[in-house]
Amino acid sequence: MSNEKKLTEADLRRAGIRWCMSVNGYNYETQLAPSVVFAEAEALKKIYGDDDEAYRKSLENAARYFNATPPVAGILLGAGLAMEDQNGNDALEAVQDLKVGLMGSISGIGDALIWIMIPTIFGSIAAYMGQEGNPAGALIFMATMFVCSLCLKVKSWSWGYNFGTQLITTLADKIAALSEAMGVLGLTVVGALIPSVVKLHTPLAITVGEVSFSLQEQLFDKILVGFLPVVATVIVYRLLKKKVSTNMIILGIIVFSLLGAALGFLG
Amino acid sequence: MQVAIWQVIVITLIAFIYRIERYGTQVNNYNAVLYAWIVGLILGDGLTGLQVGSAVQLMSLGVAAIAGSSVPDYPLAAMVGTVVTIVTGQDQGVGLAVGIAVGMLGVQLDVVAKVLNGFMARKQLAYAQAGEYDKMKRVTFLGPLFYGLTDALPMLIVLLFGGDAVNAILTVVPSWVTSGLSIAGGLLPVIGMAALLSYMPLKQYASYLVVGFALSAYFGVGILPIAMIGGAAAYEVYKHLTSTAVANTALEGGLEDE
Repeated sequence: MSNEKKLTEADLRRAGIRWCMSVNGYNYETQLAPSVVFAEAEALKKIYGDDDEAYRKSLENAARYFNATPPVAGILLGAGLAMEDQNGNDALEAVQDLKVGLMGSISGIGDALIWIMIPTIFGSIAAYMGQEGNPAGALIFMATMFVCSLCLKVKSWSWGYNFGTQLITTLADKIAALSEAMGVLGLTVVGALIPSVVKLHTPLAITVGEVSFSLQEQLFDKILVGFLPVVATVIVYRLLKKKVSTNMIILGIIVFSLLGAALGFLG
Repeated sequence: MQVAIWQVIVITLIAFIYRIERYGTQVNNYNAVLYAWIVGLILGDGLTGLQVGSAVQLMSLGVAAIAGSSVPDYPLAAMVGTVVTIVTGQDQGVGLAVGIAVGMLGVQLDVVAKVLNGFMARKQLAYAQAGEYDKMKRVTFLGPLFYGLTDALPMLIVLLFGGDAVNAILTVVPSWVTSGLSIAGGLLPVIGMAALLSYMPLKQYASYLVVGFALSAYFGVGILPIAMIGGAAAYEVYKHLTSTAVANTALEGGLEDE
């Protein structure tokens, strides 16, 4: 194998676009490997040219176990292509080691930022505006994810190919800081959301002689604003910490609400 | 209302495309508001779509599907909830309850699709080894087909039978059931809030939670200005963290030199 690079930017973009197969190739045995085969098929063909035997071996290697957050996985897969471009079949073991070795750390970064922080912040804005009948938040959410998920998914192949995996270690520090900073933004937004989107009211009133004291109107709407939503949040938070499953909590809330309606302590 | 044939076809198709998009290009994989709004518009009531979608979105916050784990299919729940609410003319709580139930069923179908995809993966490898590269590429498209159907089929069933079934059930259940479901609809977003808190650096930065809460609950500030205040605080935290990181690296470097 010669040392000159065979893949152009256009080839890498093409691999990135074919990588949009992503989780559609997911299965329990090899996870995302079928999508890796699909994405790399043409780039590998260009690397190996007429050497059918080597191409086949390389495809078999691509079909081995792989799973990483798709929008950032291109950094690893692109770096792997660069290694095969340099050393052909001799690089196959190293490519698989690289993919499996680093897929955990790169997914940690990708999941935290792209699957949790962005959907949290932009999803809550979309929902808050949606409740008022305004779709703008949902469209802003879509535009943000277009850049941070889809564009990154395609572009990361070129970064991985050109800069290799040193990119991951360089970015790791900054991304840890970014993730923590996003946590601050997220907490501010969640603090604002709890009293406005969690809706829990009680019609209960305390009657002493002639005077009736409505808990909701005279206490929770005036002095302890958002008290019931906060209590509910704390209880569910504790349950989640105790590893109670989300589905059980959903059922629990529905049963609690039905009881509240039947017995008249919620309304 | 009565659902027209074209509406059934278009909404089923949207459910199919939603799922492939969620697993493929991954732009709207968490955007329940958007899908519910679109389905609402097709049924002639975008506002109900937005509201049902928002309730589901709030539930889903912080409950991400990571590393192939199976969580309720929230955008499907939002779409089904919108369809049921509009078609039956019932309270949104009723639509939400049906939507969430279907969304949980979606998880079971998801497992089936993931198992079926194992056959696709083996077939693909076999074609590669046989040197039939075009077939190897083409067989991959079974994946999106399996996944698309896991959402399109439940949606189709809801569109065809959901409205009548729900109305038939509601004529026999007492009225506190519907008001109970409506209360549940308002309370369910609490799951998203709690899930988020368990992800975030709560111990370290709890004060920002209080800032957001006070601005919203007592001052009635909207979500966008609050997000801006949070963003400003986040930027300061980021600057602080990266500057101390650089200082630490410089210090370590200095020690190594000695």
